[in-house]
Amino acid sequence: MVTDLHQSAVASPTLEKTKERREWLRSLLIGLVILAAIATIPAYGDPSLLHTWTLIVMYIVLAQSWNFIGGYTGYAAFGNVAFFGIGSYSVGLLVLVGLPFWVGLIVGGIVAGIFALLIGLPVLRLRGHYFAIATLGTAEALREFIAVKDIGGGGGGLMSLPLPSLDAYPFLFYAFVGLSVVCLLITVVLVHSKFGYALIAIRENEQAAEALGIYTYWYKVGAFVLSAVPTALAGGLYAYWATGFDPGTVFDRGISIEMVLLTFLGGTGTILGPIIGGILFETASFQFQTSGLNLHNTLLGLSIVLVTIVLPQGLIRLFQEFTRRSTPGLTLANRFMEGLRRVRRYITANGI
Amino acid sequence: MAFGQVLVNWLLLGSLYAAVALGFSLVWGIMNIVNLAHGAFIVVGAYIAFWMYRQLHIDPYIGIPITMAALFIIGWIVQYVAINRVIRAPFLVTFLLTFGLDLLITDLVQQIFSSDLRSINTTYAGNGFDIGSIHIAFDGLTAAAIAVLLTAALSYFLSRTRTGNAILATGMDRDAARLMGINIGRTYALTFGIGAALAGAAGAMFAELYPFNPSAGGPFTLRAFVIVVLGGLGTPWGVIAGGLAFGFAETVIPLFPGIGSGYDDAIAFAVLVAVLVFRPNGLLGKAFYS
Repeated sequence: MVTDLHQSAVASPTLEKTKERREWLRSLLIGLVILAAIATIPAYGDPSLLHTWTLIVMYIVLAQSWNFIGGYTGYAAFGNVAFFGIGSYSVGLLVLVGLPFWVGLIVGGIVAGIFALLIGLPVLRLRGHYFAIATLGTAEALREFIAVKDIGGGGGGLMSLPLPSLDAYPFLFYAFVGLSVVCLLITVVLVHSKFGYALIAIRENEQAAEALGIYTYWYKVGAFVLSAVPTALAGGLYAYWATGFDPGTVFDRGISIEMVLLTFLGGTGTILGPIIGGILFETASFQFQTSGLNLHNTLLGLSIVLVTIVLPQGLIRLFQEFTRRSTPGLTLANRFMEGLRRVRRYITANGI
Repeated sequence: MAFGQVLVNWLLLGSLYAAVALGFSLVWGIMNIVNLAHGAFIVVGAYIAFWMYRQLHIDPYIGIPITMAALFIIGWIVQYVAINRVIRAPFLVTFLLTFGLDLLITDLVQQIFSSDLRSINTTYAGNGFDIGSIHIAFDGLTAAAIAVLLTAALSYFLSRTRTGNAILATGMDRDAARLMGINIGRTYALTFGIGAALAGAAGAMFAELYPFNPSAGGPFTLRAFVIVVLGGLGTPWGVIAGGLAFGFAETVIPLFPGIGSGYDDAIAFAVLVAVLVFRPNGLLGKAFYS
């Protein structure tokens, strides 16, 4: 139901099939190349650059995992930051009692998965706005609970961890990059698995999917858990990286919304969308921050407004629309103009 | 606390909540847009009332028409410039768009007024009268009266005036309404403007009664949603029912032993899930305008 416009570019089925096969391979390779390029950053030896890109890759991972539930299944989860916070607090609590960091990470992933299952069981019976608000409410309620119960012990849920050693920073950076590669691979496998087809069917028409014998409910719960676990792992890594955090930072609904925006900017339900959207938005955002302007939320809000109005289908689909094969025999200039026309039509398709 | 006092507190809070959710309900019902910037509009209303009180010494209640007019203009522009462009897009797009507007407006308010906690201290704040052991504050009572008045006015406007009927018709069937000669773009802008104006009125009342800061909007949006779900997306009067029901949950649940205060969002969320599971069409069981 989320996407009607995406089907506008359907060619003959066989041609489409071979093209599609090439397309996912190309997406995978481009994604790996981009992430490999990012992975060279510690070699420059610039700590502030490393700092920035650690966060950028973290947001990419968050967007990639949101894509599973929001992009492929079409369920607008607006509270995925809950899983991020669960991951953070799991690492925090277990590191404080003296267990190694990776134990907290694994426990965080498991706890978040179970939480997603338990919360998904009632919430995934809802649709549309109701689902969106219910997930939003879950995250807010969890934040409040942790703050009131003061889990973390520093007042209001504040948690302080011992500083990791200096060489932990490149390690954490690589961990984020590795997580992003894993998410990329999961996405590629997902797109060509029965599970993934079921999710896409749910997105396009849930009743029809159910009529075809797909147990939509359990597939949705599966997608929700799948999107929760990497988010929690990213949250755990963040906790170790940031050392000090409170419910306001790791349960910030701005993080939930940033996942959605990044995926939207690149293209929901695409393999590369979260990576491209993440790099574009976050580099711009950090550029603003380093120039001393404290306008992060203004920028975020403005970008959301612009992206939803101008690019609701994302950059990747816009690019595809632009390069889509047109009538043969056109000159390059004509083809360019035709592409621009198509892009314009694409942009203005949703208004009154 | 005495039973009577709880009852009075509940009624006053409930009607204030109705005012909070009234515009939200209208926009959702007519345009199928869950306006996440609603809380931000309420905050803007609160700050306009605050500014007028500080600079021009206008009482927040007296200034409500001005606040509403200002918010109406803001809402109209937002709808005309932004939301009308994506009105046919999947709900996720409009949902995200209003979230973006929420972030934008909240941050702008913060840039202008700083994030300090503000409050309006009128000379009559806290004054009231007593019935037996029950204390009724004038300002709370006035707010409740205004909330009921606004609901009645909206109800009258929608059902008895030509413009109101056009709004209802657009909500029922956009295409048929267009064929009847209604300008959809303008009707939507008008609806959203009215929704924002009602948020402004709620903001002015809230500013009079409680301290606030720029980030006070988020909880309002969540509450407005729960209230509308509780009351059903039906008539303006459903909002009063929803507001009272939600006010009841918020006044009474913390009184249970072992719960205590501080769990406002958790209560809102629990109520929401309970209602959605047991009565998806709201307490009055009417599934809106549509």
